[in-house]
Amino acid sequence: MNVLELDHLHCAFGKLVVTDDVCLTIGEGERHVIIGPNGAGKTSLINQIGGQLKPAAGRILVSGQDVTGKPPSHISRKGVARTFQRNNLFQNLSVIENLRLALAVAFGNPLDVFSMAARDQALIGRARQLLQLTHLDGEEKCIVRTLSYGGQRQLEIAMALASEPKLLLLDEPTSGMSPAETARMVELIAALPRSLSMLMIEHDMSVVFSIADRITVLHYGKILVTDAPAAIQANERVREIYLGMAH
Amino acid sequence: MELLVAQLLNGLVYGVLLFFMAAGLSLIFGLMNVVNLAHGSFFMLGAFIGFSIFHLTGSFWLALVLAPIPVVMIGIVMELWFLRPLYARGHMDQVLLTFGFTFVFYDLVQTVWGKVVLTLPTPASLQSTVHIGLGVFSAYRLFLIGFGFAVALLLWLLLERSRLGAMVRAGVDNAGMAAGLGANIPALFTGVFGFGVLLAALGGVVAGPVLGLYPGMDTDILIPAFIVIVIGGMGSLRGAFVGSLLIGIADTFGKAYLQNVALFLIYLAMIIVLLIRPQGLFGIKYADAPPSALARTIMPSTPRTRALALIALLALIALPFGLADYPRALIAEIFIFAIFAMSLDLILGFTGLMSLGHAAFFGLGAYSVAVLGAQFGLNAWLGLVAGVLIAAAGAGLIGFFCVRSGGIPFLMLTLAFSQLVFSVALKWRDVTGGSDGMPLAMQPSFFGFSLSHSLVMYFMTLVFFVAVYLGLRRLINAPLGHAFIGIRENEARMAAIGYPTRAYKLLAFTIAGAIAGLAGGLYVIYNGFISSDAVYWTASGDILIMTMLGGAGTLIGPPIGAAAFLLMKNVVSSYSEHWLSIIGVAFICCVLFFPGGIWGAVQKLQPAGAKP
Repeated sequence: MNVLELDHLHCAFGKLVVTDDVCLTIGEGERHVIIGPNGAGKTSLINQIGGQLKPAAGRILVSGQDVTGKPPSHISRKGVARTFQRNNLFQNLSVIENLRLALAVAFGNPLDVFSMAARDQALIGRARQLLQLTHLDGEEKCIVRTLSYGGQRQLEIAMALASEPKLLLLDEPTSGMSPAETARMVELIAALPRSLSMLMIEHDMSVVFSIADRITVLHYGKILVTDAPAAIQANERVREIYLGMAH
Repeated sequence: MELLVAQLLNGLVYGVLLFFMAAGLSLIFGLMNVVNLAHGSFFMLGAFIGFSIFHLTGSFWLALVLAPIPVVMIGIVMELWFLRPLYARGHMDQVLLTFGFTFVFYDLVQTVWGKVVLTLPTPASLQSTVHIGLGVFSAYRLFLIGFGFAVALLLWLLLERSRLGAMVRAGVDNAGMAAGLGANIPALFTGVFGFGVLLAALGGVVAGPVLGLYPGMDTDILIPAFIVIVIGGMGSLRGAFVGSLLIGIADTFGKAYLQNVALFLIYLAMIIVLLIRPQGLFGIKYADAPPSALARTIMPSTPRTRALALIALLALIALPFGLADYPRALIAEIFIFAIFAMSLDLILGFTGLMSLGHAAFFGLGAYSVAVLGAQFGLNAWLGLVAGVLIAAAGAGLIGFFCVRSGGIPFLMLTLAFSQLVFSVALKWRDVTGGSDGMPLAMQPSFFGFSLSHSLVMYFMTLVFFVAVYLGLRRLINAPLGHAFIGIRENEARMAAIGYPTRAYKLLAFTIAGAIAGLAGGLYVIYNGFISSDAVYWTASGDILIMTMLGGAGTLIGPPIGAAAFLLMKNVVSSYSEHWLSIIGVAFICCVLFFPGGIWGAVQKLQPAGAKP
């Protein structure tokens, strides 16, 4: 069964159509990248899947279940996790506290009023695994706002992975990163389990082609084409409107 | 028919006075995102200074022209020196700052002009009556209506037709855009603030002959003006105008024909508008508040803090034995208000929701004990249990509507709901005694000891204080408390990782309401008396001050703030009449220099190594 199915999705801000009749499916374990010029409606699309934005028409199915218009917390519990284009963390809390919040709702009892949250060894163990996976071990006690920018991007990924999602939505995970940080991030994403499906927005073409199984090109809210990376590279129209512009 | 027209004219008069207030409030909010709680104070200052100028010169017209000048100067000083440094912070701090100023201005007026009601005579040229087809009307009132409409028209022309007005309108929509138009934003802010103050002061002078002058007229005009801008739409001049006339007329007719439910209906209208059209009838949609500067990391207890807490507890146990009855009773009162302040801090400091209506739940708890005792002879302790449950139910119901919003709309909604509770307490005299209040039918005993003994009262309140403190500390350190803190820090992220944040906010609000109800019930047992004053919005403001003064976002802060506030009120007031100013200034300094409150400042004093 497809992990994600977008069925004639439509969304507009006033007269500006940001999502125009988008149909897209993502299979189990697929790594799907969306590209497109600025203002193509990429982030708006992710926001609709994540529940931050309500589509005007169409349906969003996660593992066959309709989640259209449901709040973000509901969609999160259906196994969809996301990162944000701009770091969107708990800036005043420590790295481990950030992860504990994400883990508590997935694996703990967030309504618990008796136990000490800071002493939940099961969650702390999981948090340390995630930190290792995202190369953040050693930063456990660091207050997030004092963490390096790249470190914060890595924590974004760790937070999204905390709930052990089926589908990971990545909104420009390498934006604002140095080439060295970008390389580490690509390595990190590539090393994630193959069973995890991904929908990723990315501008950096080398990143796109090193990760994508399939690519969708979005243009003024419409899907121009969805195809394998090699076919996208060969597509005249794509070259014309997107690749040509970027280089 | 003549009566009806007279009522209509009276309604228009009140509406015009509201417009003088609401136009400035609305512009200031629209442009600067500041909810100016001191706006009523400028109205009051205008009225009193006008009164003095009238008595010096004998001319009403001179008073009308001259009185606004010093008031505008005060307003500009306030904007330049006090509000401006806060623009970089969340606008909650600005709300709080203006609230601190209301204390200072109230005290100023009370000191200079006394506490009695004064009247500004109607100008001689307008003392006559005018015969219009339908009857005989006061010339002054007709003048007032004409004056108000003329000012409204002038304002409209200024905003719509002048370049300056275009900048203000652009600024209301988007400050960045206004800067792009070449507007000098800081000067524009000062100008609009000063202009708003000018309108309020003018309104104060012309209101003199109609409303009378007394300290307290500031809040009496501020709250209806708030209702006006909430219903009309914040940032909209048209909204302020239509809203003013609507509320002015509705209030006048309501008082004449529906005495007991008029107040209730007006607050209900405000709530319905906020829920259905949060931006008001003509308002533009405004963004939610950014989180206020309360952020603090979670600090787990260490052996050192635990030892300090134990020493503090032992000191509190030993303390009353060296004290006389009066200080014992005062400290008992501090314990009760500390419970109240901690309950507010759960939503304010830990969940990041600023409520200006928390006294409603204190009142529900208090009235439950008093009313159930008087009507059914229920023991006060059972009444206390009932009070906590009723306050929790009330908070659950009110919270259900309030937590859908955040920031300033949340502040306004909680204010409106608490005023709704207040209007019930005030008007349902048969049961509550209204503003005269009602006594507690029978004081209970505490495990067989009589609470009329100050030592027993002290320990009874201490037990509850310690229990609530420990309970809340447990809650804050538990996963649920961390979820509340997560919502304070970043609600959108909490939702994205799977927390149904609205339900969590409602839970925090309900727990806070229940604990406030406990404080209210204890207060009746302590005080033996409750009146509607305890539910008035200024009571919510006081508890907000206590919490912020001590340090919101910590559990130790609110009790410290409650102690500081009540000691000032009771001790300072015994040798200085100016305790209100002292509290006001202390609070203003706190907002400006110690955003973390007293406890925040103490923590900063510690050497860096001592911090966990």
